[in-house]
Order: sequence, then C-alpha cells, then structure tokens
Amino acid sequence: MSVIEVKHLKKYYQVHKKEPGLIGSIKSLFKRKYEDVKAVDNISFEIDEGELVGFIGPNGAGKTTTLKCLSGLLYPTAGSVSVLGYNPWHRKYDFLKQISLVMGQKNQLWWDLPAIESFILNREIYEIPKKQYEETLEELTTLLEIKDILKIQVRKLSLGQRMKCELIAALLHSPKVLFLDEPTIGLDVVMQKKMRDFIKEYNRRKKSTIILTSHYMGDVKELCKRVIIIDKGKIVFDGELAEIVEKYADHKILSVVFSKEIDPRKLEEIGEIKEFDYPKAVISVKREVASVASAEILQHFPVADLNVEEVPIEQIIREVFTGKDVA
Amino acid sequence: MRKYWQIVKITFEEYFEYRLNFLLWRFRSFVSFLTLFFFWLAIFSSREQLLNYQKSQLLTYVVGIAFLRSIVLASRSVDLSGQIRSGELTKLIMRPLGMLQYWFSRDLADKILNIFFTIFEIGLILAIFKFPLYFPKNNITYFWFLLLVILGVFLYFFISFTISVVTFWVDEIWATRWLFGIIFLEFFSGAFFPIDILPNWLTKIIYLTPFPYLIFSPLKIWLEQLSGFMIIKVVLVCLVWLIFFWRLSLCLWEKGAKNYGAYGG
Repeated sequence: MSVIEVKHLKKYYQVHKKEPGLIGSIKSLFKRKYEDVKAVDNISFEIDEGELVGFIGPNGAGKTTTLKCLSGLLYPTAGSVSVLGYNPWHRKYDFLKQISLVMGQKNQLWWDLPAIESFILNREIYEIPKKQYEETLEELTTLLEIKDILKIQVRKLSLGQRMKCELIAALLHSPKVLFLDEPTIGLDVVMQKKMRDFIKEYNRRKKSTIILTSHYMGDVKELCKRVIIIDKGKIVFDGELAEIVEKYADHKILSVVFSKEIDPRKLEEIGEIKEFDYPKAVISVKREVASVASAEILQHFPVADLNVEEVPIEQIIREVFTGKDVA
Repeated sequence: MRKYWQIVKITFEEYFEYRLNFLLWRFRSFVSFLTLFFFWLAIFSSREQLLNYQKSQLLTYVVGIAFLRSIVLASRSVDLSGQIRSGELTKLIMRPLGMLQYWFSRDLADKILNIFFTIFEIGLILAIFKFPLYFPKNNITYFWFLLLVILGVFLYFFISFTISVVTFWVDEIWATRWLFGIIFLEFFSGAFFPIDILPNWLTKIIYLTPFPYLIFSPLKIWLEQLSGFMIIKVVLVCLVWLIFFWRLSLCLWEKGAKNYGAYGG
C-alpha cells in the first residue's frame, strides 16, 4: 500500500519583479508586474511504506516546495496530495503526530535554551508517554553521541551538533513518515557519514517511510534505492538509481595506463579520447563494445593497467540536468 | 492542556535566560509610570478636584493604568508577524498545536511576569508617597471590574492577533503596528489620561472604537463613575467587539495560511 500519493501536484507562486535601482523601486510603487513562478508543475508519484526515496535536483528545482506540500505547510495550487490517507493541508493533529520535517537550513529548536528544553516541549506537544520518551531519547542520544551537549544553549552549539539535536527533536514522537530536507548541508565529511549511517539505520529499524532531498550525490547513492529527479518543477526521472545508469549512460569509461609512449591517433580508432596525459588516458566507448575495445587495447598497446568503469553518477545527473548527451 | 502549560514554562525560561533585557524593559515601564504619576501629581498639587476627577481618583487612575498595561496590554503575540515574514512559523504550524492557544500561552507567561513586577514597583511608590487610593464602596463593583478586565485581555489578544495575521498579505506590517500601537492603543484606550477629559464629540467617536474597553472603561468602573445601566452597556459592547475580532482573526488566519510561503530553506 502506498503511504504517499501525489497526483498532478502544482504549486505556483506569485512574485513581483522590480527593475534595479531607485527608479525601478519608484515604478514598482505604482505598478507591479506579477509573474507566476511554477515551483512545482504537474508532478505525480507514489511511495510505499518503508521506502527511502531520494529527491534530487538543482537549486530551485522544486524539491523543498514538494516536501512542504507533503507536510501540509503549503496549499497546493492544483492537484491532490495524500499522506497516510490524510490530506496534509488540513493539518489534523492525528496526521501531524505521525510525520516530521527536518530542514537542514532551518532551526526548529528553541534558540536561546538548551536542546533538552525543546525535547521536553515536544514530549508534551506530541503527548509522548514518559517511558517511551525516555527510551527514545536514550536510544537517539546514544546513537548520535550527543549526551554531553543536551544542556548547552542551542545557539552555542556547532552546526553538526545542532543538526543532530534537530534530528532528535524530529524523531522523538517516532514519526511514520519523515521528510528530510538537506539534512547533511554544511556538514563535514565525517559528520555526513555519521548522519547517513544514522538515517539508514533508522529506516531499517523503524520501517518508517523517508523522503530525502540533497545536493550531495553521496547521500543519495548510499541511502536510496529509488530516486526521483526533479528539474524546473517537473519529474525527469523516477526509478531505481541503477536504472539511471542504464538509461542515460550508454557509454563506459576505459582508463588506461601505458607502459611505453604510444601514438594517440591510433587510440582514436578505439573510442573518443576524453583525456590524454602520458602515461594515462581516458577513453569513452559505447557500452556494447566496451569489452571488445578493452581487448583491442590490451592487444595493440603496451598496457600497464586498464580499468573499465561506469560513468560516475554525478556526471550522469549533471548531464541529465543540462540536457547534454551523456559521455 | 499540558502542552500549553509547558509553553508558558518555556517562555519563562527564555525570559530568565536574558535577565538584563527583562530588567531594562521593566525599568522602562517603571519610568513611564513615574513620569505619568508625577505629571498628574503636579497638576493636582494645589487643588483637590479637576475635570470631574478628585485627586485620589485620578491618582488611582494612573496606578490603574500601570496595572492594566501589564495585565491587558502585555503581549508576545506581536512576534507572530515576524515569524510569518521569516518563515519561522513553519516550526509551529507543523506541530499538533492550536495557534491561538499557543500565542495565548506565550502572552500569559508575559502577563504573569509583568504583573508580579508591577505590584512590586507600585507598592514601592505607594509606600513612599502614602496617598490614599480610591477603593470601590460597592462589592459588586469588583465583580464588574474583574469581568471587564478579563474581556479586555481577550479583546486585546484578538486585535493583536488579527493585525499580525495581516502579514500574510502585506510584508510591511510596521506602519500598521505603529499606528495601532501608538495612536489608537496608547491614546484611545486611555493609557495616558482618562478619555472623558477630551472634548465631548471626540470622546463619542472614541467610544465607537474597541480601544477604550481595554483600560479606560474598567477603571471608570473601579472609580464607580458609571451607572449600572452604563456598565452593562460597556460590557455588551466590549463583548461584541471581542466576538468580532475573534471571528475575524480566525477567518483571516484560515485564508492567510493559504498564502503562507514558508520561506527560507
């Protein structure tokens, strides 16, 4: 059964454009040109229980807007949204108690007070039984290793520490559906890894449904089997991560290290040379002929090392967005 | 209910975190009370009666202003408009929380703290100057006074909430707030002087607005200057305004939330 159903969702914003400078400002006093910005333009998808889906797309693609519609913050311009059988917009308490939204760039904790105060407030707001609260808190603080900072004012915490606290605050009521908007933004590599491990573990243990948006392919690669790629408000791709590679990357990459000088012109017969810097060369060849091409290289050239690689996923996605052919 | 009590508590904790800020705020209120107090003391210096008020009545009125300011006017719900602008409201409407209840809880904490300090400050002044305050002779007066103060608390809350909610449509809310806060609130509510010392025609106009019911009318009841018929009329008009702003704020909230952009992030 699908937990999330989105049908033909549209969200348009009205913005007014101002010409630069004072003259522009004065003009806009009298006459304002309004324009519709199509943040989300007719998208549909379904997500099943326990799925961990990655939402990727460039800045301004409509990822966050979609999440906000799913969590009931925004009123859709058109289309229908159903989460756990509820219409999110009505913001029924029973619905709100089962979801959570974490925004990496937004602070949801009480800024001037220690994090533990926000946790206690959430315990009351979500009416979490005391025993369950204590167990969950113990479990989460141990997993994220932040027992020692719970009594420090939130504004004095580092970004990484704060994000961990944000996550705990969002998870105390054990939501069935979790929206994570750029949860690793601004974190260092070690913290990113920890955060990912945690999300993965949480999804596995609690069987909760998670939608994650991120700029970092690393997050998505490691966490999500299924991805939805969105660009300019429209869905460009929806399917398993591995499928993207098959669908868009009809090439493979051969990287070769030669043991002796060779004539690069001869190499061109094999495939397109992407890079040549003796002794290394990177050649792009059609997927079907990859094995033939590598055999040929081994036969005709003095090879020290040869690797056949898939086109990196980052590159594929970059090129999906820019609309170019994939290498 | 427990969740809202927790919000009252956490608001207290916030205040205590910034002790100096709060003390300076109290100092400001105290100084404005003193200014008003000495102003009227000077005017009455050599006479016992002026503009239909006896000295003790008018000084009681001034003390009453200080009290009602902290009970009726003290408010945190003005923060709502800032939160709508910055998108901070997101963290509130995502939770199973009633918006009116949430902001009222915040206001309540603010009021409790302010009342506590006001009693202390005024007690100090009264102990030093030892002038007689006017106390109602009729016991029923206390009831009417209390009733109108409670209505006033809610009336002010809904007016303030309504103005904040306008931020959903208009980004620049400060001019409205200023007009409302300074001109109408301070002047028309009688927070500087009793409204009925103004020319008759102006008083009549002010009576048509919801503002005199916040400070002026309750104090007139306390001073027992209103007839029984007038008291009932005042309570009824206040009730009408209260219901009007209650419905208006809810209606605007429903409509405005559809306009909410949840900006940032």
